[in-house]
Amino acid sequence: MTQPSQTEQKNRTYFYLAAGVVVLLSLFPLLSPAPYFLSMLYMVFLYVVLAESWNIIGGFTGYLSFGHVAFFGLGAYTTAFLMNKLALSPVATILSSIPGGLVAASVALVIGYPCLRLRGPYFAVVTMCFAFVVHMVVQNIDLFGGVEGLWLAAMQKPIHVIRAIFYELMLTLMILVILFVRWMEGSKLGKGLITIREDEEVAQTLGIHTPRVKILAFVLSAFFPGVAGGLHAYYLTYISPENVFDVMVSILIVLMTLFGGGGSWLGALIGAVSLSLVNEFLTTFVGAEIARIIYGMLFIVVIIFMPNGIMEFFRRRRRDRLAAGEGSEP
Amino acid sequence: MMLRGEKITKRFGGLVAVSRLDFEIREGEVFGLIGPNGSGKTTLFNVISGLYKPEEGTLLFRGKRIEGRKPYEVSKMGIGRTFQIVKPLLNMTVLENIAIGALYGREGVRDMASALKKSEEILYFTGLEKRKDVLAENLRLADRKRLEIARALATRPEILLLDEVFAGLNEAEIDEAIRLVKGIQQNYGTTLFIIEHVLKAIMKTCGRAMVIHFGEKIAEGTPEEVTQNPVVIEAYLGNAPGI
Repeated sequence: MTQPSQTEQKNRTYFYLAAGVVVLLSLFPLLSPAPYFLSMLYMVFLYVVLAESWNIIGGFTGYLSFGHVAFFGLGAYTTAFLMNKLALSPVATILSSIPGGLVAASVALVIGYPCLRLRGPYFAVVTMCFAFVVHMVVQNIDLFGGVEGLWLAAMQKPIHVIRAIFYELMLTLMILVILFVRWMEGSKLGKGLITIREDEEVAQTLGIHTPRVKILAFVLSAFFPGVAGGLHAYYLTYISPENVFDVMVSILIVLMTLFGGGGSWLGALIGAVSLSLVNEFLTTFVGAEIARIIYGMLFIVVIIFMPNGIMEFFRRRRRDRLAAGEGSEP
Repeated sequence: MMLRGEKITKRFGGLVAVSRLDFEIREGEVFGLIGPNGSGKTTLFNVISGLYKPEEGTLLFRGKRIEGRKPYEVSKMGIGRTFQIVKPLLNMTVLENIAIGALYGREGVRDMASALKKSEEILYFTGLEKRKDVLAENLRLADRKRLEIARALATRPEILLLDEVFAGLNEAEIDEAIRLVKGIQQNYGTTLFIIEHVLKAIMKTCGRAMVIHFGEKIAEGTPEEVTQNPVVIEAYLGNAPGI
């Protein structure tokens, strides 16, 4: 009888812990830290948003999209374009990143239909090509500034204020995405997606309308990167095809999610935070070349010893320990 | 009439896997499907459950045409199935596996909590209650077969297609499985369509059976009748004059 109340208590502890971390993070800019730290954490938040979003299609559904940067870039361009054309006030930034998400989601709806019929490596390749195509198209449209990209009006505020504003905005977006994915994990949709990942044929014979839920997952996983791209465009104040359609970002968010453990909100969070911090520290303190080597080796170790990601590794160990404990007790 | 097939034909390139097959399954009965390996039994199940589209023929489920419909539509209408090569959702627990059927099946529910609740009863019915929280990947074959049945039952089918649920089991396990299959019919009133090689299981469970060979029907009747039919014996053992 004590078992449920114990887990309840544990959950409450976790909740307070998480809430505490969130409060501390949101108050951090008040300590007026160096802008470097704010932008570093901003980048961590951004990667968490991207990894959690990718998690919806890649981690839950098992459809490894290698073109997710396209949605991020589309969001960035949509926002930049709207802001330049409509000369929006800085306050409207937050709102103008939402159309970025909507454009990304609509594009996902259109390309998702044919792409999601493909499985395994074919889906990975076709999404990667899709990202290249979007990159090329944007690069060749003069309206979007071609190769040179677009400039956005910068906020007329001191640098640390600007950094703090974007820090808080990205933090908010990150929390929303994490809460969404966390909800999804226990929802009917999430369970359906995991069933598809495990076995799509079984999923269908159990009554899961696979084309519909897959497309829904794909659209959701494109929406948040679109919004993040919109914020990021304004943060950078200058975007070009080179920096918002960087294929490395696509690959990095796949690695982060799988590193932490796909199909769970905590896995993607752990993966994105740990890898972006490790990368940042290594690059700053050890040097970019050696950082890449250590980074690569870290991956190899994790893939060999924890093929299902860090989260699943510890979850299984705990389960095994619990099972062993149950066995020894009368 | 629960399920009726008329002149069902399924080809793979030049190979005719199922050829102009007619059959009828009545409400509430246990109908057996027998035939040597490669005779088209599983292909027929795949056609019924919507994984394959037949080239010719019509399939009527309670008078509605279902040939060529998608598996999730067929499942929602009330046709459940198990797979010969069991396909548990390996990274989920036994109870979660069953709950997916309850969540999305014919009487689908809105959230996982009520799906889990609905699954408890099936868990007990199939005798898996002790394995409830075990990951499906850690189950032995006999339990995997039970889970396959449990998950399909959770979709609340009106007719359940069982594909060789007795294969690979030992004598004691076969007896248990026979009890389980009989129980499905009694408890849930589910109509059963069973592919089986284990003759004992066919004899003890089926009211009627049909035999197919190279995709064509060669016999139909009670289990006793079809197993004593010379054409059937020839199909299984080859042409042996003197027998």
